[in-house]
Amino acid sequence: MDSVSRDLRIDSFVARILSRRWLSPTTFELTLERPAGFDFQPGQRVRLGSGPNERDYSIAAAPGDPEVVLCIRRVAGGEVSAWLSTAGIGTELRGSGPHGYFTFKPSPRPAIFVATGTGVAPFVSMARAGTKGFTLLHGVKRAEDLFYRDLLTASAQRYMACLSEDAPADPDVFAGRVTRQLERQVPPVACDFYLCGRREMIRDVTWLIDDRFCGSRVYSEIFY
Amino acid sequence: MKIYTGSGDRGKTSLFSGERVGKDNDRVEAYGDLDELNAVLGALAAGLPEAPPGGRAELQAIQSDLLRIGAWLATTPGAPAAESLPPIDPGRSIWLEGAIDRMEEDLPPLKAFILPGGHPSAAWAHVARTVCRRVERRVVRLAGDPPPGEAVAPLGRAMIYLNRLSDYLFVFARHCNRRHGIADTPWTA
Repeated sequence: MDSVSRDLRIDSFVARILSRRWLSPTTFELTLERPAGFDFQPGQRVRLGSGPNERDYSIAAAPGDPEVVLCIRRVAGGEVSAWLSTAGIGTELRGSGPHGYFTFKPSPRPAIFVATGTGVAPFVSMARAGTKGFTLLHGVKRAEDLFYRDLLTASAQRYMACLSEDAPADPDVFAGRVTRQLERQVPPVACDFYLCGRREMIRDVTWLIDDRFCGSRVYSEIFY
Repeated sequence: MKIYTGSGDRGKTSLFSGERVGKDNDRVEAYGDLDELNAVLGALAAGLPEAPPGGRAELQAIQSDLLRIGAWLATTPGAPAAESLPPIDPGRSIWLEGAIDRMEEDLPPLKAFILPGGHPSAAWAHVARTVCRRVERRVVRLAGDPPPGEAVAPLGRAMIYLNRLSDYLFVFARHCNRRHGIADTPWTA
């Protein structure tokens, strides 16, 4: 996969909502028409809204897809995500993008993707774009939040789902946080880590990398 | 919006190229000093008129250049992440030269060392100049390890820019004093 082109431009755009698909009771996939000339790399974000109510959302589609797909959690008390969860099909959204540098950078070292919740979106985009052979740890509270599991299992060398609240009924799903499985399941060698999700996960995994995976590279994207 | 993760609480940080390094690492020192320079320029710009020559817009353009340079300082030469960085445009150093020349047109020839100071804007420009020289020294250190080559070519362009920016800030300080009717204070040994 190519890394981010230096020529990708950040542009403002207006895009209509084409469809909404609920992935779990709190998370939905929002499909937008692709603005003319809009190009991006897997792992990048778009910014939706205006003024103080702007929010960034990672793109879950591949660059070659005809539409822009976002994976959004409806945040309790959140203005933008609540609005996007109910806005009518055909609504025109103002936005800008692509933003960010959280892109896959091929290297000889093992690639370890770690996500919590909708932080899995950039890895979905990477998988849809053809990235394979990575190890992915996806931490969620409940099994119903393990969206994109089939897609990611097919692309990953190893896919580890981690439930922090529910007791897993599935033998392929681990109980506990991603840090626990990272420590137990991943050999302590230098890797390229890609972390996307909640700040506490970013902090805890980064510390674990410092302690256990010396010489690794760490790329992180925080979900606020 | 919270901006903190706490992942740096134990004294390490991640470079843009992904490596985990101590916060006293040479590369961190370099982009930290560059950040300081940018902040000083912000303080200087806050008290300036908008229009050129030597106006706020000009300094803000320089601040943007410094952010671009900072990304390179935060990236290990040859690392995959370098592919995603916008190049450092050599034309920006030439642009600085033009700005220096325009300001110098209105300045009396310099015949002695001058004392940094005068109008507050000039004093801030001198502070910025000295921080800029420190950043330049940091970049020189980075460029020497590993040995110069294609991978460190951006650092070479950064050195040229910083060298020219230091000169710009010296002339800028004199320009500020001139604009406020304050004569440079010559050094008397």
